[in-house]
Amino acid sequence: MGLRIHDVAHSFGDRLALDGVSFDVAPGVITGLLGPNGAGKTTLLRIMLGVLSPDRGEVLYDGRPVGEQDRRHWGYMSQERGLYPGMPAGDQVAHFGRLHGLSRRDAISRAHALLAELDLEDRWNDRTDKLSGGMQQRLQLATSLVHDPEVIVLDEPFAGLDPVAVESLSETLRLRSRDGRTVLFSSHQLDLVQDLCEDIAMVDRGRTVLLGSVARLRASSGRRQLRLHVEAPNHDWLLAYPDITVVSDEADELRLAVPPGIDPLEVLDAARAAGQVVDFGLDLPTLSQLFLTAADQTLDPSGVR
Amino acid sequence: MRAWWRGTSLVAERGLVENVRSRSFKVVTGLLLLLSIAAVTIPQILSGGGTTYTLATIGKAPAQVVAALNAAGKSADFTVKYVSRMDEAAIRRAVRDGVATAGLAAGTLYTASPSAGTFPVMVAQAEVTLETSRQLSAAGLSPQQVADLQSIRPPRQVIVGRVNDEGRAAAGLAVGIVLYLALTFAGNAIATTVATEKSTRISEVLLAVLRPSQVLVGTVMAVGTATLVQLLVLATPLAVAVQVTDKIGVPTVAAGDMGLAVAWFVLGFALYAFLFAAAAALVNKITEVSSAITPVIILLAAGYMLAVTVVMSDPNGGWGVALSTFPLTAPLAMPIRWASGEVPVWQLVLAMALTAATAVLLVWVASSIYRRALLITGHRVKLREVISSRPAS
Repeated sequence: MGLRIHDVAHSFGDRLALDGVSFDVAPGVITGLLGPNGAGKTTLLRIMLGVLSPDRGEVLYDGRPVGEQDRRHWGYMSQERGLYPGMPAGDQVAHFGRLHGLSRRDAISRAHALLAELDLEDRWNDRTDKLSGGMQQRLQLATSLVHDPEVIVLDEPFAGLDPVAVESLSETLRLRSRDGRTVLFSSHQLDLVQDLCEDIAMVDRGRTVLLGSVARLRASSGRRQLRLHVEAPNHDWLLAYPDITVVSDEADELRLAVPPGIDPLEVLDAARAAGQVVDFGLDLPTLSQLFLTAADQTLDPSGVR
Repeated sequence: MRAWWRGTSLVAERGLVENVRSRSFKVVTGLLLLLSIAAVTIPQILSGGGTTYTLATIGKAPAQVVAALNAAGKSADFTVKYVSRMDEAAIRRAVRDGVATAGLAAGTLYTASPSAGTFPVMVAQAEVTLETSRQLSAAGLSPQQVADLQSIRPPRQVIVGRVNDEGRAAAGLAVGIVLYLALTFAGNAIATTVATEKSTRISEVLLAVLRPSQVLVGTVMAVGTATLVQLLVLATPLAVAVQVTDKIGVPTVAAGDMGLAVAWFVLGFALYAFLFAAAAALVNKITEVSSAITPVIILLAAGYMLAVTVVMSDPNGGWGVALSTFPLTAPLAMPIRWASGEVPVWQLVLAMALTAATAVLLVWVASSIYRRALLITGHRVKLREVISSRPAS
């Protein structure tokens, strides 16, 4: 079930944009396609949407190669605004609904419902280019969701949004995902979307560098840090753990890097034995920290990026 | 095919609504309507309708003369005013001073100059007719016989010659002029729509649902329909005027020639419309549209110039044949050449087939440019880039 991207490669002239990317997107699991600018995210999304043809590999949906008919039931939000500037907002949404196969009546009624959901209902008759940037972003989202697509693909939907807008867009996507839709979006702002994605596919220079569930990736990474405020005279209790390194040591906060083999709770116990623990916490690495680690490992042997 | 058509008609519908709603469409259409009404009415006001002649008589004009002149005035479109004077001297003065066009007194017709136009002749004619019937009655003919004699008319005149070449040539020239004007307006609208889609990146969203050919054909259909509406607006006052009065000098054209003219217009419009669309797909910013379509406009203008100069002067010379067969100039040149009446039918069919095939080919080329150019942003796309097998990013 869901989407499967299998060994997709594409190059622009001599420049290799994608070099055999593979990952799955399951229905009901919001998946982030993450990576820095120029990693090949947009190229991959365009291949999925049939705007570009891959040099190699294929995109499967429910085990079958994706065809033109399947894509009519998909929703795609491109990175840049794909809206007719002179068209009234409501007509615009209804038009895209009809392009996706809805009847005129259905398209209009769904457009009304969607604009209400996205807080744009009183803007139906406004010209699109008279709307603010944030409103246009929501309108664009509406044009890609109007036909209630099974698969929702969004290219950099969070770029340029304020925190409130980020949260409301996230909520819209969570709602669709909970209804069993397949949701894939791309972003280069890794930490911004950390809380939204359940699964990630992280790409860098056309290759996948990190795959899987965000929670598991963060927990199992070797980059956990234990944060302690211990009222102990010295750090002698740490001598029992030669593998643990001190990241920072300030008056009220001692930051320790805990390698995978050591249970952080055990370290906490040792600290409590040495003195009163006023405050503590376990920090998992952020997605950007995970990315930096993963990207380091995939550097060319020469070390040249 | 049905799915293709459905998407295409949606694109066309949206484009037409936006086009018709736009301010420029309303302004241009309004101007065209005013222009057309003016073109029909101003010559009418200046030249005709209002001719009035004045006849001076002693006392009231004789009823029979008035009746005869009024009847003549109805058919020849003039009105007659009657003024009465006390005596012959007063009538002479009135005619001499220009108060009356002619004067009638005691069997004498007064005019201001020896050749005073047709009105004095008509007055004289009316007098002669009256006098004749009076004398016929006096000779003993019954009123019925007198009336029969007066109703003798010259033979009816019917024009049976072939449709004249002037009319045909005018139709041929009209195709060229209308096509040239329509494309100058429509080409700009088509290019702007395509460039807007590209520069705002709507094309990317569209291409996820539609094929480039649907987008382009739909756009051309929308602008084509809007242009047709404008042409109809331009033609309506003329058509109404032709129906109402018969004084507009529209050359009579055979139905077959008219059909050919329409066919050439459609073909030429399609051909150049897709050229405009392809050119516009190359731009990156909407402001680059005018420079991108300049080559197409030059091509169109050059084709028109060549058609009017070379083909008109020597329709069946080598250049004439070449220009009327080459697809880019055929829609402009062939209608003019056809008017010469010496074009073999196979040449006409060949030229039409070539033009139609080129239009279809251009849909394909423009679609391919549209798809490839979409992926190249940030600079004006060079034709070389889209033609080469892989676009560089």
